[in-house]
Amino acid sequence: MEVLNERGLHARPVTRIAQTASKFRCELTLGRDGQTANAKSVMGMLLLVCPRGSKVTVRASGPDAQTAVDAVRALFVDRFGEGT
Amino acid sequence: MSEAEGASTRRFLGIPASPGVVVGRAFVVDRRRVTVPRRHIAPDDVEAEVQRLRVALGLARVQLEQIRARLSLDASDHSVILDAHLLMLDDALLIEQSERAIRDEGLNAEWALRRTVEKIKEVFDRADDDYFRERRSDVDFVGERVLRQLMGAPIEISRPLDLFGPVVLVAHELSPADTAALARTDVMAFVTEVGSGTSHTAIMARALAIPAVVGAPDALRHIATGDMVVVDGLRGVVLRNPTDAEAADATDRGERYGAFVRSLRSNSAGVAQTRDGTPIRLRANIELPGEVAVAIDHGADGIGLYRTEFLYIDRSEPPTEEEQFETFKRIVSTMAPRSVTLRTFDLGGDKFSTAFRIPKEMNPALGMRAVRLALREREVFRAQLRAMLRASAFGDVRVMIPMISAVSELRASRGEFDRAKEELRVAGLPFRDVPFGIMVETPSAVTMSDLLAKEADFFSIGTNDLMQYTLAIDRGNEHVAHLARPFDPAILRAIATVSRAAKERGIPCALCGAMAAELLAVPVLVGLGVHELSVEPTAVPEIKEALRRIDLAEARVFAEELLGIASAEEIEERVRDRYASVFATLLSNGENGTFTETGSFILPEFDGRE
Repeated sequence: MEVLNERGLHARPVTRIAQTASKFRCELTLGRDGQTANAKSVMGMLLLVCPRGSKVTVRASGPDAQTAVDAVRALFVDRFGEGT
Repeated sequence: MSEAEGASTRRFLGIPASPGVVVGRAFVVDRRRVTVPRRHIAPDDVEAEVQRLRVALGLARVQLEQIRARLSLDASDHSVILDAHLLMLDDALLIEQSERAIRDEGLNAEWALRRTVEKIKEVFDRADDDYFRERRSDVDFVGERVLRQLMGAPIEISRPLDLFGPVVLVAHELSPADTAALARTDVMAFVTEVGSGTSHTAIMARALAIPAVVGAPDALRHIATGDMVVVDGLRGVVLRNPTDAEAADATDRGERYGAFVRSLRSNSAGVAQTRDGTPIRLRANIELPGEVAVAIDHGADGIGLYRTEFLYIDRSEPPTEEEQFETFKRIVSTMAPRSVTLRTFDLGGDKFSTAFRIPKEMNPALGMRAVRLALREREVFRAQLRAMLRASAFGDVRVMIPMISAVSELRASRGEFDRAKEELRVAGLPFRDVPFGIMVETPSAVTMSDLLAKEADFFSIGTNDLMQYTLAIDRGNEHVAHLARPFDPAILRAIATVSRAAKERGIPCALCGAMAAELLAVPVLVGLGVHELSVEPTAVPEIKEALRRIDLAEARVFAEELLGIASAEEIEERVRDRYASVFATLLSNGENGTFTETGSFILPEFDGRE
C-alpha cells in the first residue's frame, strides 16, 4: 500500500490505524524496508518513518485477518480522511 | 536585592498570540524535565518494580483521559494529539522495552523508562523527515508524564491552581495536554517562553478567547508564582509587578478590548477615515493564511503585509511554486476585492530557514537576508514571484520586496519580476500586471528614497528594522532595546523624507511596522503624509477609531512642528499633551464609552455615520 496523504504516516493516521487494528483479534503488522511494526503500536508505526509516497506492507494472521487488512486498506485509500 | 529592578526583569516582550489584556496572579508551571534517580534493584524486588511502572502508566493514562474529557469540541486537533499520547502510553514497544530493562538489567523503573524513551527519540532523530524528527517531543512528553507519576512529582497543575483562583499561567512551554488541562475558566491568560503564533498554546488560547503572549524569553527566570502580572495579548507584552496605574490601565484596555470585540459587529464594515473625511487605508499584517478571517472580522481594508517567510521556516526544502500559489490564491480570493500585499521572503536576520544554507554570521541583521538572499537564490525567488503573479488573477495583489538598500537591488529584483512574468506568458498561465513596491527599512533607502520612488510603484515603511538600523540599536539586546523610541526625531525625519519622496512621484506611501499600532503615533504618521497603515489584525478597530478622531489638516501642521524638536522625550510629551485627551477613551478609560441595552459599546465622538 502506498502512503498517499501529504504528511505521511504521522500521529493522526497512525492513531487511526491503531484504533482500527485494536478492533480485530488477529496479529496485524506494518512493514517498510525490512522493518516491521505492530499495527496496534502507535510508536512502532511512527518509528517506521513513512513520509508520503512510501510503500507499506500490511500483514495479518488470525481469524479475522482478511477483514482487518481490508479495514486498514480503506484507511490508506481514504488518505486517512486528510484529503490531500 | 541590591540591584535596582531593571526594565528587563519587569517587562517581557513576546509574540502577541491571542488578543486581550488581563491583570492577574502568575502561576508558574515548571515543565522542565525531572532528574531521574538511577539505581540497581535487587532480584527479589524486580516484580515489584515492574508493577510500579505499570501503576504509573495506568495513572498517567487516567490523567490524560480526564484531560481529554475536559477538552472542548472545537479543539479537535488537540484531541487527536491526546489520543496519540494515550495510545503511546499503552504501546507495547515502550512497555516491553522498559520492563525488559528492569527484569534483565535490574534497573529501577525511572531509569528503565527514561532509557527506552531516549532510544525511541534517537530513531526519530535519525529520520530524514522534519515531521518525524519533531515526534520526539511527543515521546518525551509521554515519558515525562509517567516519570512524574513514578516519582510523585507534581504534575496535576489544576490542583494548586484552585488555591489561587483565576491565574495567569507562565511556563517555558505548554504541551497540548497541559493547555487542554487548563481549558477552564480559572486560567486568565497564557505566557510561554518559547513558541510562535502557530504553537499549540496560541491556537488553544485563541479558541478559548483568552490572551496569550508566547516567545517571551526569560519570563520564567523572573516571574514567580504569586507575582502580579499584566498580560497584554494585543501588543505582546508581559509586565511583572505593575504599578497601580499600569494595572488599572491594563484592566481598562482589557475591558475596552472586550467592548470593541462586541461593538465590532456593528462598526467593522466602516471605511477608515479621518474626522475631516480623508480616507486612510487601514490594513492588516498577517503571517498565517488563517489570519485573513481575523483581519476581515476586525474590519481591515485588505492585507498590507503578508509575511511569506513563514512558508519557508521549519522545512528542508523551499515550498514549491504550486504550493505557494495555492496559499496566495486562497488569501487573495478570500480578501477580494480588498488588496493583498505579498512580501517576498524576508529570511536570514533573526528568521532562519533550514531550506537555505546560511552560514552562521557574526551579525545576521547586517548579513545575508531578505532581498540579498533572494538575489542569491534566484530560482527560488522567481518561483515565489511567479506564484504571487498567478494569484493576481484572483484578486488585487501587490508585490513587495523587503530590505532594499540600493537602487541596484530594486532594479535586480524588478529584473527577476519581469522574467517571472515572461516565464508565465510562455507557460500560458494567467496573471495581471501588479504594482511592484519596496519596503523602506534601511537608512540608505531613506536617503535614496527620491530616486527609489522613480522606480518603485509604492513604498511601505518598516519601522521595526528602520529603527534598529537608523538608531544602531539591536532590538533583541535587552541592555539597549529601551533606547529605541518610536518618537525619536531621527525616525520622524526619516518618515517625513520618505513620504515626501513618495508624494513627489505620486506613489502610495504605507507604513507597516509596530509603530502604526501605537495610538499616539497615528496622528503623527498621517500628519507626516503616510496614507496607509498596516497593523496586526486585532489592532485594527482601535486604530480605526483613532483615525476617526484625527483632524488631518491639524495633524499636518502639528507633525511639521514636531520635525523641529530635538529629543524623543520632548516629542512624546508634545504628542501626549495634544492627543492624550483626544484618545482618552482609547488610551486608558474605556468606561467613558456607554453600553447600550443590547450590550454593544458606543464610543463618544463616534456617531456611527458611515
